[in-house]
Amino acid sequence: MPLKWVFHWQPNAGTTVNSQMLTEVSQCAESINGVKEGRWKATLTFYKPMFRADQAVPAEYPRDFLGISLPEQPNRYYFIIRSQKIVLEADSSIQMIMEKLQSYKSRVSLTFEGFQYQLGDFQLRVGKVAPSASENLRGIVLEVEYLPLSSMEKSRQILDGFVEIWQEAMSKRSLPGHFMHIEPNFAEFGLSDHYTSQHTAVQYATVMAQLISAVQTAQAVRN
Amino acid sequence: MECVVQGIIETQHVEALEILLQGLCGVHRERLRIHESCLKSSPNLGLVASEVRVLCDLEQPEPTWIVRHIGGAMRGSGAEQISVLVRTMVESKVSKNVLRLFYALGYKLDHELLRVGFAFHFQRGASITVTVSSVNKMLKLHATDEAVPVTPGIQLVEVTAPASSENYSEVAAAVSSFCEYLAPLLHLSKPGTSTGVVPTAAAAAASLMSDAGVTT
Repeated sequence: MPLKWVFHWQPNAGTTVNSQMLTEVSQCAESINGVKEGRWKATLTFYKPMFRADQAVPAEYPRDFLGISLPEQPNRYYFIIRSQKIVLEADSSIQMIMEKLQSYKSRVSLTFEGFQYQLGDFQLRVGKVAPSASENLRGIVLEVEYLPLSSMEKSRQILDGFVEIWQEAMSKRSLPGHFMHIEPNFAEFGLSDHYTSQHTAVQYATVMAQLISAVQTAQAVRN
Repeated sequence: MECVVQGIIETQHVEALEILLQGLCGVHRERLRIHESCLKSSPNLGLVASEVRVLCDLEQPEPTWIVRHIGGAMRGSGAEQISVLVRTMVESKVSKNVLRLFYALGYKLDHELLRVGFAFHFQRGASITVTVSSVNKMLKLHATDEAVPVTPGIQLVEVTAPASSENYSEVAAAVSSFCEYLAPLLHLSKPGTSTGVVPTAAAAAASLMSDAGVTT
């Protein structure tokens, strides 16, 4: 399948993301001749272990157990434990199995949603990050998908080239922040050079870790 | 949900059973080699203790994995009147990291089995699967090449069919009706209700083998 890079918005120190920035990013996509297509939506859920006795979570249980649903795979669900480099692809029915087991429950869900844009061989998705039950903007993500190739190594230069164009277009808008891409070590997750939705799931887990870290940093600065 | 019945048959009569099933189902049998790992939650994990099965199909060129959760059986007078077990069952195909994931979540291996045999999948009033297999245990952890039968000389026959809350009685009736054809060779009943081997099995098997032109 085509490969993609997932970026997250890194606000400058002392600033927070707002919906005006989201509008600017969307306009940027259109300014480089992106053709607006439909909407897209992904959901990320944090799970926490349940214990019979009222006790603190023992250290051996994962605190970063995530589930992700992706729009390009409506019948699949992805589990990630980032700290242990585990990613699992399953049918959507795995969520029903988890409910029946009652060992882990959903703690919080976040939605990534917005519009997608076609630019030649590229597909862009611009999305806001918000808790599922609220409109509070917590972040902005950008997906850059290169349709002709599945090999990450072969497409690296092409994507670098596109990102340069994008960052230049963005810089004209003088927004207090920039898009960052942190490439996970996919091999540590047992994933190969050939891109799959499991790679996307791992990228989203990485983005999530970055967003949490940004929020914690902002809170530390305020305190 | 699924409807299930089980029975046992002596290994010496399995070939006759296969001939009978071939004739009834009209499809070719598929070979079966499933490594089943039964995982249980660690003490205190979960509001209740939980169990999940991880099945690895070793017959495929590349092993494929399924997670299966078997829930409670239907109860009440309605359930008692049905001769098959109706129970909740949810399964999901998964990628190969599944055992690592469940171990990381706090599940432990309770026991593992290797089922070796064959299966027939066909339509007869419902989508029915008949599996005939020897159940084997591994002498060393995950050592599927060194498995020994749990009950030498005896194989397990299972008839299952997926069902929903809307159609389970029709599915149960279809399974029951199909099982009647197998009655000369084996008796099928709800799991947990053991009835042993059938006294007419030897004669029925001999008859099937001679009809099929198989000399013993």
